[in-house]
Amino acid sequence: MSDIEVRNLTKTYGTVTAVDDLSFAVRPGTVTAFLGPNGAGKTTTMRMMIEHVVPTSGSVTIGGRRYREIPHPTTMVGAVFDSSFHPRHSARDHLRIYAAMGGYPDRRVEELLDLLGLAESARRRTGGFSTGMRQRLNLATALLGDPRVLLLDEPGNGLDPEGMAWLRSLLRDLAADGRVVLVSSHALSEVQQVADEVVVIRKGRLLAAGPLRELLGTARAVLVRSPDAAELGRLLRRSTHPVEATGPQDLRVRGLDPAQVGDLAAAHGLRVHGLASEHSSLEQLFLDLTGDRTCA
Amino acid sequence: MKPLLHAEFRRLLATRLWPTTLLVAALLGGGLVGVLAFAGPENFQPPMPGVHTEAGVRTVLGFLGFTSFVPAAIGTLAVTSEYRHRTIDCTFLFAPDRWRVLAAKLVTYGVAGMVYGLVLSATAAVALFGAAAARGVRLGLPAGTVIELLARVGVAMAAYTVLGVGMGALIRHQIAALCVVIGYLYGGELLLLMIPGVRELYPWLPGGATAALTDFTAVADALAEQQSSSPVHLLPPLAGALVMLGYAVLASTAAMVKPMRRDVA
Ligand SMILES: Nc1ncnc2c1ncn2[C@@H]1O[C@H](COP(=O)(O)OP(=O)(O)OP(=O)(O)O)[C@@H](O)[C@H]1O
Ligand SMILES: [Mg+2]
Repeated sequence: MSDIEVRNLTKTYGTVTAVDDLSFAVRPGTVTAFLGPNGAGKTTTMRMMIEHVVPTSGSVTIGGRRYREIPHPTTMVGAVFDSSFHPRHSARDHLRIYAAMGGYPDRRVEELLDLLGLAESARRRTGGFSTGMRQRLNLATALLGDPRVLLLDEPGNGLDPEGMAWLRSLLRDLAADGRVVLVSSHALSEVQQVADEVVVIRKGRLLAAGPLRELLGTARAVLVRSPDAAELGRLLRRSTHPVEATGPQDLRVRGLDPAQVGDLAAAHGLRVHGLASEHSSLEQLFLDLTGDRTCA
Repeated sequence: MKPLLHAEFRRLLATRLWPTTLLVAALLGGGLVGVLAFAGPENFQPPMPGVHTEAGVRTVLGFLGFTSFVPAAIGTLAVTSEYRHRTIDCTFLFAPDRWRVLAAKLVTYGVAGMVYGLVLSATAAVALFGAAAARGVRLGLPAGTVIELLARVGVAMAAYTVLGVGMGALIRHQIAALCVVIGYLYGGELLLLMIPGVRELYPWLPGGATAALTDFTAVADALAEQQSSSPVHLLPPLAGALVMLGYAVLASTAAMVKPMRRDVA
């Protein structure tokens, strides 16, 4: 009942199309990574989810309703964007203001200060906060209403490795409670360890969406070292397998396993000096999907 | 609405801005009036009527009217600082009905403006009566009238605070909003009055409405003198107060038509 449905969402700024006929859905109980290069339209899409930005066309609903139609919206949705605090408010002041606005008791403020490790800095002014503390305070604000849906725009920005590990386990726990957790990022290696699902966009358009494991499966590549790389490359391309020349003697082939590549080379009398299954990573998937490096 | 008001009062009281503002009110009210009344306006260069005359008392109290930029600025900051520090994102997340956010600020700052006006007027009263007693001067106006005039100054301060909120919502940019509000108060309106015909509108302009409210008629008198024509008739005090509130509502409504609806990104 808390799914996010994005339908044919489009947003244009003058001549720039930030989001272009985008449709996807995000389900509860999973951490969904929202990926795309800079300027892909991630922030714009997420801001349209909470109606901070009005779509040019299309719609977004959360639990079947537009954000504005949700009664007590912050019990349903919590969101983290660029940190935004009054520099002269303390962490506690900030949380108490929004606790009042949401109608939550002050007890909740103290709980969150503890949960997010901010109890000791609660009286300090946010103006002097480090990036990590700001991210924690952002999350605390988003969690005030114990929402079913969390929209986090690059919550790991500026976190150190320890902070990232902490964030990952927090996201895991939140999803394990059956919440919708949508996390945008371009720190791919970090998201890889926590995401169940991914949505990848570029230039405002959907490139891929689905379980991370499946997407990584289809993207698995074979690395080939051969003095006859040029010949082998031509051969593979003729059989319409995506091939990328990564060096004078090196190829990266997708859609085949190492045995198939070796057999093909042998059948044509081409030498193979090395053959390896590439360690599949989200990083690579991301480049394959978004980059123009692959020649098909 | 109650949670929003609760939040806005917490926001108002969270920083040192508010106690500082009240200190400023006391300094302007008690300090300014005290200095004028103790030193005696008749001893100034150029000399002004002393507080033993009606004109003298009115002049001293009239100076308070010139401090309306303080509450106006406080009201303006209520909205613009949210845009400046980007807390508006969070505010609109918690209160997606944006007009409610503005309404809560208007109410909160209406109350804050009253408190400001009360501190300003009360300290001014203490200073004025204190100075008169200390110098053994009999004030040129009965105490009841002085208190009524001071109360009207207080109401004017509240009206300026609320007007500031509306202008802040309309302009959104902190510096620009402050420049417009303060620029208008000090000069903008006088320039406007130089345009032929606008003079007739003076009672309905913020300055004219304030003059009606506070009964400080220096500008109106000057207008009448300078153009040697019929005297300018100010509105009754209550109407002046309503005109001021009308401007605040007008600015807020205009803000809701466009600026407050804009994307926050
Ligand atoms: N308010 C705006 N006015 C004009 N153009 C905008 C505005 N907001 C976003 N854009 C444009 O829309 C496109 C998408 O921007 P967006 O911020 O959504 O990307 P993003 O995926 O979040 O990027 P990043 O990873 O850098 O945060 C960009 O080309 C950006 O310049
Ligand atoms: Mg972004």
